[in-house]
Amino acid sequence: MKRTEAGLQVLRSAMEKGLADSAAALSAMTTGGIQLTDPELRLLPLQKVSEIAGGPACVVVAVYLRIHGDLHGHAMFLFSEESALRVSELLKGDPPGSAAKLDEEGLSALAEAGNICCSACLSALSDQTGLVILPTPPTVVQDMAGAILDPVISHLYMGGDETLVVETRFNHGIPGYFLLLPDQDSMAKLIAVLEALQ
Amino acid sequence: MSRHTQVAGLGELVSGVGPDQVLVCYGLGSCIGLALHDPVAQVGVLAHVVLPDSSLGRGGKAPPAKYADIAVPAAVAEAARLGGQPSRLVARMAGGARMFPVAGLNGTLDIGARNIEAVRAALAAAGIRLIAEDTGGSYGRTVQFFIDTGHLVVSTVGRGEHVL
Repeated sequence: MKRTEAGLQVLRSAMEKGLADSAAALSAMTTGGIQLTDPELRLLPLQKVSEIAGGPACVVVAVYLRIHGDLHGHAMFLFSEESALRVSELLKGDPPGSAAKLDEEGLSALAEAGNICCSACLSALSDQTGLVILPTPPTVVQDMAGAILDPVISHLYMGGDETLVVETRFNHGIPGYFLLLPDQDSMAKLIAVLEALQ
Repeated sequence: MSRHTQVAGLGELVSGVGPDQVLVCYGLGSCIGLALHDPVAQVGVLAHVVLPDSSLGRGGKAPPAKYADIAVPAAVAEAARLGGQPSRLVARMAGGARMFPVAGLNGTLDIGARNIEAVRAALAAAGIRLIAEDTGGSYGRTVQFFIDTGHLVVSTVGRGEHVL
């Protein structure tokens, strides 16, 4: 399916809205001042997704949800090991660089933050397109990026080729990634709606 | 000894001859790293298997090791091409994890267990002995296959490293 720059622009503005809503929600639940900016959108083939945060053997923290409704597939918010530490400090209001290892409290804060970001991005996309997107409750996993993405990629291999990756920055520095991995029919449906909206 | 490393990406198959060869799969989750070794000819093949059965495909071009049922014969043929003898081949495998251990989320996602079974069945069908495996669980694995010893070194995050 053909996609145009204008169609991508609709997607970009939905993601900007989602990230702004995420930042507002995260600021409200913490000591505040959390910003999520500079979204960079990419459509990547499935095989390349595990490369985004350092490579398949690099440790990441991922918050994973399945999606149903008009779009079927998977959504994920992903932090590199370093980003996970820095964002957990932001969320807990600790000074930057104070955490050496991600503890239970930090992981749980990231799970909450990842869930908020995924939900806000999906909700903004839903508002923009009129598509109903229903996420399941989140699961948080800390392991190698390749391993975490494996079951999702295997599932989509039976009917999907492409992934939307939105890279953003927490407080202008720390990268985080929102991933939308719809099945093939859902991706075609999403692109058709985006193209019709432009 | 300086080593020569090759990496098998999703669905790919890599091979080597000689004691300096190391074959690697990074970050296996539900996927399987299947190593075939001929210790006499010093031939090794490593397949990065993604799905159990080629009937799950949508047709079109698939990499050689994507499906277990096709990956095993392809790996045997590759070993033979490099001078390995099918009757001497032994297999080791690692992977097949269930990465999201939450009730209600899995169903179609528990592809790991199906991959393990499919690789075992395909090895049996090809008459190849499986001499060691580290499969299942809910964590990722990186495997390094050393052609000189035939050993498969499995590393994990927080669960150490061990040798098959």
